[in-house]
Amino acid sequence: MSELTLTPELQLSIEQFYFQEARMLDNRQYQQWFALLTEDLRYIIPSRTNPMVNNRERGNEDMISVERELEGEDSDGCPIREEGYFQLMIRVERAYKMNSWSENPPARTRRIVGNVEIMANDGDTLSIYSNFHMHYARPGGSNYLYAGQRRDTLRKAEGRYKIARREVILDYANIDYPTLGLFF
Amino acid sequence: MPIKVSDLVNDDATLISRKCWTDQHVYELEKKGIFGKAWLFLGHESQIKNPGDFVQAYMCETPIILARGSDNEVYANINSCTHRGLPVCRADHGNTKRFVCPYHNWSYTVEGELVAIPQEREVKTKPDKSALGLKRVPRVESWRGFYFGSFDENIIPLEDYLGDMRYYLDAFLERFEGGIEFVGAPHRWVIEANWKLPMENQLGDVNHGPFLHAAVIPPEANQEILDYGLSAVTEPGHGATFRLMPEDAEVDSVAWGMEAPGAILAGPEVHEYLRETQAKAKQRVGDIRSRMKGLTYGVYPNLSFLWSNASFKVSHPRGPGKVEYWSWSVVPADAPDDVKKILRTNYSSLFGPGGILEQEDSEVWSQQFKGSNFDFADDRPYYYGLGLGEEKPHPELPGMIDITANEHYARAFFMRWRKALEAVEE
Repeated sequence: MSELTLTPELQLSIEQFYFQEARMLDNRQYQQWFALLTEDLRYIIPSRTNPMVNNRERGNEDMISVERELEGEDSDGCPIREEGYFQLMIRVERAYKMNSWSENPPARTRRIVGNVEIMANDGDTLSIYSNFHMHYARPGGSNYLYAGQRRDTLRKAEGRYKIARREVILDYANIDYPTLGLFF
Repeated sequence: MPIKVSDLVNDDATLISRKCWTDQHVYELEKKGIFGKAWLFLGHESQIKNPGDFVQAYMCETPIILARGSDNEVYANINSCTHRGLPVCRADHGNTKRFVCPYHNWSYTVEGELVAIPQEREVKTKPDKSALGLKRVPRVESWRGFYFGSFDENIIPLEDYLGDMRYYLDAFLERFEGGIEFVGAPHRWVIEANWKLPMENQLGDVNHGPFLHAAVIPPEANQEILDYGLSAVTEPGHGATFRLMPEDAEVDSVAWGMEAPGAILAGPEVHEYLRETQAKAKQRVGDIRSRMKGLTYGVYPNLSFLWSNASFKVSHPRGPGKVEYWSWSVVPADAPDDVKKILRTNYSSLFGPGGILEQEDSEVWSQQFKGSNFDFADDRPYYYGLGLGEEKPHPELPGMIDITANEHYARAFFMRWRKALEAVEE
């Protein structure tokens, strides 16, 4: 990875990309959103566990690192989701069928994306971290707030960014949400 | 006036009261009569391989530490300090020499013995530490690496309790030379539903598939279940559904795992592994069981196994209207690591908190709890009569057998449930 080159134009274009993406998802334009994905995309939600705290590491930041809590793609555990283009295509298709019962009536969501941080810039491939809050209203008076971090790889092709990898670090302690099957 | 259990389930269990799902008094009877008496699944040996390894478990709402002691034996203790009651272990799993209570640092071995009371130096009368260990689960037994615990000291041996369900469980577990292993920490999903409905769903309810899941499962996929599907009830509360594939079926249509998303999208290495496993099945589990292509399994009261997506699940009650649903992917222990990583997605693509299919299940389980609470509907108990009396013994398979549309698995469960609650009713 080359040295990070950061310009206001680049930051602006990345932020605009995320704002448009959030708008599409909140407007349930999942087919348009799907066009933002590369065909070799990986979409991962690690599961989040409560590991032992090792007293020998006391005083070190590593002792309580977020990474220690994650069972992700490369772990021997079981991520909540590890999907590619095909699984996300099924999810998008499902949304436009009348018997997708857990979203009938459809989900009401509002995403706020912030803390957009360009971590690496290798010309056409960018590594970007961002944070999000997503409000999810479900019929029956239940409302939920999802919070998390997205670690993305964006790739520029034919003049536009596409998502080549997304890892979603969800800040749950217990999964007391009706589903983690949404588009984060 | 307290509810009478015999009013909740009629004699042939074709009518099930809405109160079974919602009533607090009924729930207290379930704790006493079912969770205080049955064998309850705690964990699998693959999770606690080495001395000092432990995992958390639950017996109903009671937290349990399942651990391998320094003597290599397995211990199950209630996760609660004998001084002030705090849980002494907060991690989901790990390896340790001691569990230490945060409040006054009373310390316990992984076997549950109390070894240190820091304050005893200050006082003249020394407490008898040998009498103050963690409360031990009175009975712990294992079968095929599956550890179960019971609060009932007089319960029948685990193998007898599982009975003929072992025949069906072995059709899966014995396929793999090295056995199976549980993958990582369980996904722990809190759902606003009664614990019995996820259990009933996995005990034999494959018939909701083409309806509830029509957005994802094409109607053709159900044809194989209509053609070859069978539902077995070995004894009330235990059940298995599977497709008994014909003798001339192609290996790819029988082999375990092949029909699930991870394998479908995988490369030749995974397919070859699954074919090789299937090639050994006849020799390992016999002809008829080698042709079994499982669907759902249930072990009374709250353990489930979804064969088609290789997942074990436990439905832990949290009151009448809440369940903590635990699920694990399971994989053959001797599969290559990269194959295991693909096979775990056979489960997670469709099931678990992020699964494409199970989001629909959790929705209807929650809606069923809402419906069960409606006022002015108590004279309309739920109809459980589909296929009443149509199940029969089978020349080669244990238990009572019929097509999967027969709801005998659910009637049998509720007959056992009624008996268990009547036994503790005042």
